Amino acid sequence: MGPVDEPLVEVDDLTFRYRRATEPAIRNLSLAVSRGEVLLVAGPSGCGKSTLIRAINGLIPHAYPGELSGSVRLEGRLTTELKLRDIARSVGTVLQDPAKQIVGATVEAELAFGPENLGVPRGEIRELVNVVAGEAGIASLLGRETAALSGGERQLLAMAGVLMMRPRLYVVDEPLANLDPLSAAGLLAILRALADRGDAVVIVEHRVEEALELRPDRVLYLDAGVARYQGSVDGFLRIADPREVKLPFDVVLSRARAGGLAAEPEPIDRSPLPSGPPAPVPDGSMEEEPARLEFRAVEASIGDYRILHGVDARLGPREVIAVLGPNGSGKTTAFRTAMHLLPITSGQILVDGADAKGRSTADLATIFGYVFQSPSQMLFARSVREELVFGPRNLGRDPATFELLMANALRRTALDQLEGILDRPPLSLSFGQQKRLALAIALALQPASLILDEPSAGQDHQTAEAFVREVLAIPGLESVYFITHDVDLALTHADRILLFRDGRIVADGPPKEVIVDEARWRACNLTHTTLMQANARWGGRDDRFLDAEALARRIVAAEGAVLDAAEGGSVVDAG
Amino acid sequence: MSSMTMSRSNLWEVSSRTIVYAAIGAALYGVLGLFDFLLPGTGNVSIRPAFGIVTFFGYAFGPIVGLFSGLVGNAITDQLHGYGFTTYWNWSLANGLAGLIAGLAPLYLASWMSGAISRRAIAGAIAGAVGAVIGFLFVFSDIWVGGQSFDAVVTGSYVPVVVADVITAIIVTPILVYAWEPVKEQLGR
Amino acid sequence: MNIAPRYLGRGSWLARRDPRVLVLVSVLFIMAAIQVWDGRIVAALLAVAILYYRSAQIPFRDVRRNWLAALTLVTLVVVLNTLLTGSRLEGVVVHPFFSIPLLGTVVSAESLSYAATQWMRYVGMVTVGFPVAFCVAPSDFGATFARLGVPEKFAIGVDLTFRFLPSLGADYQQTIDAQRIRGYDPMAGRGGPIVRLRRMLPILTPLTVNAIAGAEDTIDAMDLRAFGTGKRTWLRHLRFERADWAIVLFFLGLAVLMTVAGFVSTSSHLWTPQLLIDLAGG
Ligand SMILES: Nc1ncnc2c1ncn2[C@@H]1O[C@H](COP(=O)(O)OP(=O)(O)OP(=O)(O)O)[C@@H](O)[C@H]1O
Ligand SMILES: Nc1ncnc2c1ncn2[C@@H]1O[C@H](COP(=O)(O)OP(=O)(O)OP(=O)(O)O)[C@@H](O)[C@H]1O
Ligand SMILES: [Mg+2]
Ligand SMILES: [Mg+2]
Repeated sequence: MGPVDEPLVEVDDLTFRYRRATEPAIRNLSLAVSRGEVLLVAGPSGCGKSTLIRAINGLIPHAYPGELSGSVRLEGRLTTELKLRDIARSVGTVLQDPAKQIVGATVEAELAFGPENLGVPRGEIRELVNVVAGEAGIASLLGRETAALSGGERQLLAMAGVLMMRPRLYVVDEPLANLDPLSAAGLLAILRALADRGDAVVIVEHRVEEALELRPDRVLYLDAGVARYQGSVDGFLRIADPREVKLPFDVVLSRARAGGLAAEPEPIDRSPLPSGPPAPVPDGSMEEEPARLEFRAVEASIGDYRILHGVDARLGPREVIAVLGPNGSGKTTAFRTAMHLLPITSGQILVDGADAKGRSTADLATIFGYVFQSPSQMLFARSVREELVFGPRNLGRDPATFELLMANALRRTALDQLEGILDRPPLSLSFGQQKRLALAIALALQPASLILDEPSAGQDHQTAEAFVREVLAIPGLESVYFITHDVDLALTHADRILLFRDGRIVADGPPKEVIVDEARWRACNLTHTTLMQANARWGGRDDRFLDAEALARRIVAAEGAVLDAAEGGSVVDAG
Repeated sequence: MSSMTMSRSNLWEVSSRTIVYAAIGAALYGVLGLFDFLLPGTGNVSIRPAFGIVTFFGYAFGPIVGLFSGLVGNAITDQLHGYGFTTYWNWSLANGLAGLIAGLAPLYLASWMSGAISRRAIAGAIAGAVGAVIGFLFVFSDIWVGGQSFDAVVTGSYVPVVVADVITAIIVTPILVYAWEPVKEQLGR
Repeated sequence: MNIAPRYLGRGSWLARRDPRVLVLVSVLFIMAAIQVWDGRIVAALLAVAILYYRSAQIPFRDVRRNWLAALTLVTLVVVLNTLLTGSRLEGVVVHPFFSIPLLGTVVSAESLSYAATQWMRYVGMVTVGFPVAFCVAPSDFGATFARLGVPEKFAIGVDLTFRFLPSLGADYQQTIDAQRIRGYDPMAGRGGPIVRLRRMLPILTPLTVNAIAGAEDTIDAMDLRAFGTGKRTWLRHLRFERADWAIVLFFLGLAVLMTVAGFVSTSSHLWTPQLLIDLAGG
């Protein structure tokens, strides 16, 4: 323990290049964090956030070989001279993917892992486990097997495992990535409490709007490895680009008023979706056209767990539908049953009005393109080409058409811009590119509808938005159904929202209707984003929800009109 | 720490990296080991695609990882089958030895393990085959453990299992080398 | 697909023992059994094994298939030995029943009793093996090995293996799903072994590569929690109680007894029932 004024961590003119990389991942970074402080690190995907984290917790250079210049000091001592074991005592890290961080088979084992390695006496570990489980709000999980935990529960457990080490500095890498809004707020509260207690926190987060609830003392905005901004939150909100970072709406608005918004994005060409029946409306009033996919009192179980308790829904053939709901509420499971990947125990599933029982998954795949949450799960071939023709070949399509199929699929996913893409090993693509490839693979089967499981998970605001826009712009695609935790993304892009909770659908309707019932909204672990509030206040009468920029523009325009009118009026008076 | 071109010196090093790879190899064997099909014409010998995991892990991550993957991996499948890992311990050890010998490739295939990926893939196939042929010699311990006759072990165990596993190793190991190397490059560790 | 180990004996008397006991017993029993060829003694050992097994209270319906598979395997091996080589009867006077055409091996009173004895031996080993599979909590194996004196890192490796099993099982399922969505089913259809092996690759490859790639984070996470840098505590506390000692000593005694008997008695020689010899017309 040094004197209180001495910073816990002090990064000085740090530059690092990974051994196999040609460019440094971070350049000339300098920062200092003292006790009780919170530093928020933001920036687009691939900008070097995790690299900075690795430099602070000593993985660089201890675990990642590469070219390092500058220095990182923990309580005055150089990380290069400390052992990881010693660093681990003062720095606690929560990695980007909690599932990978958990090494214990049971919750206790996971919590105990750190202290066990430090040789802490058994008795002490036992006490600590109970204390920490309480702090992290996972006391109810004690005794559970880690493999059966939901995404949210895993995230909290990973955090708790670090709390067990009682470090003085906490570095957390995108802790909110796969949390529903309520669980996210819970995690931020834990971090805030740590800072208030005198520990320091460095948090990396894409979901800036939510991360601000943590009341960070300073923000570091990285871009391409260099610090583009470092300083107070207010200063950051003044310079940040709402396209790159998700900002509170009032910030976007004031930016718009100051004329500080970039040019209009090219509007999404959504033909032929809007064509077909008049503006898509909630189920009931479209009986004339059979639903593309209909659940009737569908129940399903995994092992002994009953997961779906009677799901009823009609998904129209020309709709964009977003599925929201708490972690573990059955969203993914529901669509797995629809694709016959999981048998239903009772109820009925209809496709285009006909009972789908007896149809094979492959057969259904020609109607529904299904894109998994984690793309790499399906990539196995030695080249993108093999990967793309794998499906059509299995379905016995005419090989003569393959070239055209591939060309189209790649163009629609903007992958054709990467030269030599067809011969690249799929797994050597970046995460975002792999996600697009997964989409291309689905498109190669020429489906009429798409099912996307969490298209925005773990991607920065801009990438996520772009991904969804591209999908919606795909010609010949009739309908898109997507699962997400990003409320604004869902509300702004969907014609209709399905709210899942405890294996049931508790709400079904256009965005503006679904959000009316506050209690129900919160019961689904959802929060009221500033954009929602803004839409409620300024949004037009039509069903559509506007994204932050569009809404801000509309408001500014309206205000402008009012001004002109006022001036005009005054002139008249004068006359 | 590039594993394919592992130098002789750190062949036997045991870091957390070694342990995690070993555990994953064993677990994969456990998961995939339940899936197998009888080799026609033999009673008790089946083709286990999972065996390719053992030879690949040995080849890619070293003898320790190979040994552990085979030993613990086969023990786990026995656990899942219900025999318990002790009953056929000698077969588990034989699997482990196969992985270990595949992992010693740098000692007898060094020249092949550098250069084009195709060469490294072929080297993987060879190492896997060598591992199977030598490693499974250990099943002759059944002569003492099970009181079996030499001929019975040869005709009933060794030959069929080696045939099956050499085929598996030759097909699976190179394909995994091809799939893994680009990813390793990307991870850059 | 759920490939997590099944902890069926939970709560039974045997499951409440120190897990090291179950492992040691199995090892000691094997040591005892492999030294005996007198069928009468082997039968006695089998009886002991069965008594021991019953204390595990493993619900039979849950393991019926496992038993079926185990017994089939054992029987196959034994039959193969007998048919192929008339068993190992160097320097034993045999009373033949008949000799098998083609193979020409002689089926005799001796080879039959040999087969029977060998069969009982294997079944005995399997019987004491089952509790190891079903009466040790999966999360206990790490500590068990550590306290059995195997290297710490090996023990942690075992612990990790059990941790990875269920999650890899889930990934396995997901990978199969992902391929089925592209009109691919690894389990469907016939074909020779090589065809079926190749059909497995679109599952095996992504599963393996993703597991390894994902391991990078796991490795970091372990390093960051001071793994393998010094003497470590095991939260799971294992202590031998009187009952544990009793069991282990009993089976140790058994092993020792059989070793001694091997020297001073005929227990290590094949015993053939007079009845069989008479039948063979000896
Ligand atoms: N092990 C590695 N070897 C080589 N290059 C790497 C490695 N890890 C990351 N990189 C590269 O360094 C850059 C920064 O990566 P980093 O993971 O820090 O980005 P990030 O800001 O955390 O992105 P994300 O928000 O997607 O997590 C990227 O271009 C990435 O491709
Ligand atoms: N293989 C499995 N074994 C046991 N339970 C499972 C399995 N897969 C999922 N579950 C459980 O089923 C429930 C629903 O899972 P599902 O993946 O559908 O949730 P989700 O709504 O997609 O959640 P998330 O938003 O975290 O993806 C969860 O409680 C989960 O724990
Ligand atoms: Mg990152
Ligand atoms: Mg899901």
